[in-house]
Amino acid sequence: MSWDVIARQDWELTVGERSTKYLLGLLGFVIVVTAYAYPLTGSEPYTTGRFAGVVHGSLTTLVPIVGVLLGYNAVVSERESGALRLSLSLPHSRADVVFGKFLGRVGVVATALVAALAVAGFLVVYPFGDLELFRYLAFVGFTVWFGGIWTGIGIAASIAAATKRRALVVALFLLFLFVLAWDAIADGVALALNLTGLIDGELPDPLQFLFGLEPGRVFGRLTDGFVDPSATVDGAWYLSEWVALVLFTLWLVGPLGLAYRRFAGGDLA
Amino acid sequence: MAAIEATGVSKRYGTVIALDRVDLTVAKGETFGFLGPNGAGKSTFINVLLDFVRPSEGSVEIFGHDCHAEGVTARERVGVLPEGYSVFERRTGRQHLEYAIESKSADDDPAEILDRVGLDPEAAEREASGYSKGMAQRLVLGMALVGEPDLLLLDEPTTGLDPNGAAEMRDIIREENERGATVFFSSHILEQVEAVCDRVGILQNGELVAVDTIEGLRESLGGGTKLVITVDNLRNGTLETVRGVGGVETAVEREESTLEVTCTNDAKMDILVQLHDAGVDVVNFQTEEASLEDMFIEYTGTDR
Repeated sequence: MSWDVIARQDWELTVGERSTKYLLGLLGFVIVVTAYAYPLTGSEPYTTGRFAGVVHGSLTTLVPIVGVLLGYNAVVSERESGALRLSLSLPHSRADVVFGKFLGRVGVVATALVAALAVAGFLVVYPFGDLELFRYLAFVGFTVWFGGIWTGIGIAASIAAATKRRALVVALFLLFLFVLAWDAIADGVALALNLTGLIDGELPDPLQFLFGLEPGRVFGRLTDGFVDPSATVDGAWYLSEWVALVLFTLWLVGPLGLAYRRFAGGDLA
Repeated sequence: MAAIEATGVSKRYGTVIALDRVDLTVAKGETFGFLGPNGAGKSTFINVLLDFVRPSEGSVEIFGHDCHAEGVTARERVGVLPEGYSVFERRTGRQHLEYAIESKSADDDPAEILDRVGLDPEAAEREASGYSKGMAQRLVLGMALVGEPDLLLLDEPTTGLDPNGAAEMRDIIREENERGATVFFSSHILEQVEAVCDRVGILQNGELVAVDTIEGLRESLGGGTKLVITVDNLRNGTLETVRGVGGVETAVEREESTLEVTCTNDAKMDILVQLHDAGVDVVNFQTEEASLEDMFIEYTGTDR
């Protein structure tokens, strides 16, 4: 058990990097500005729960970008340079390295998210809003979790690929697929099925479930179900927020687990 | 329990055989030189020891711990200077040492280690990515020395060091060995190995072709005697005459009227007598011990 040493070193390295500061600064800026603008543009009542429903939209785009960009070079750049050999010459296992890096980077993302959401919560509550403490804490938790998922996806790309370039390509592909293209694909399928007369209106539940697997949509269902009182989750049981909780867990461990098997089984030289 | 115990270790990359059924035992407390030309498989073997590479067949143990299944436990007692490493970006030399100290749960004083490996304390406050190859090599050797390891694994430790640095490296190897550490180091530079090693193994095309003490290798090489004979006049047939003497292994013309002969110890006088009988005047002769380099060439058929 030596991942703590690696996590600490990685935390220091990640925090010290200029690109990290820019990425996290942008993330924090957007969250805080959204919170500032929310009472000006939204309608009463102003609550942290309803704010969650508002800010959630930018989070599902920005958090994946930040997570992937922070994660993709976590291991592969050291593997390419040879610094990984120094770590693995010491009494660290490959699992220690992956877990330590994951904790280090997720720690950085989580700290930024918690800080920004704390400020945002304050801006929403002061002077006219209401704080729904437990719902808001749940939202902060889900957001950090979502950050962990995408940082984990970035790190998964980092340990599955042998070169930095390949890791970046894999990570950007997943980012493009889930964050940019996913809605268009879902809309396209719905449109096609409507045009052919197979369905009328919304997608049937099984297809909704399929398209709902995307991490951002899972995050959305959790927010709707547990945080935002003005939103509701309906449909079949497998579209509920409780199933979303299970999916959220799978997204956190699945990509990393699969990539780790590849990383642990192969030669590093 | 041996420090290193390799049993039938093979490693294939596609059709290329990097290691071919290597059996090797390195006893506790010895200094073992791992010798071979570039590309012979030395680094592959060390990579197997460090679990960077999984052997196709066979297994290696360090102090009885399997290098793959119990890699972390095995490495707890090992200090490593690997090949093909690079230092961490944006970390100072001192932070590198602190990282090694924390990773090994040791309590060394970084300043002491810096002093031992000859890194100046001011340089240690700079980012290690700006170091020269030689400085980086000293730093990583320092990381290897953390926690008084029972085994030092050094892959080409003198790479990037000037002759002075190489001599210091040899001193450190001796000191560590005297402290009780087993030292296993690879090199393609023979003098290094000859100077500090109790035993050497010679690797050639992935096969361990010889494992012995330097003395032993000398003996197995025709008694290890090399005779350099200067004659008044080297005639046709003189070489053949010498080669005809029992116990002579090779006889070549080194330069104008000088012969170089390798032979068993007993054959020396016979050669001189034979030359005299053939009417050749011996002006001068001297014997030389076969150097490791001669043996190396003999074994591997390459000139490094």
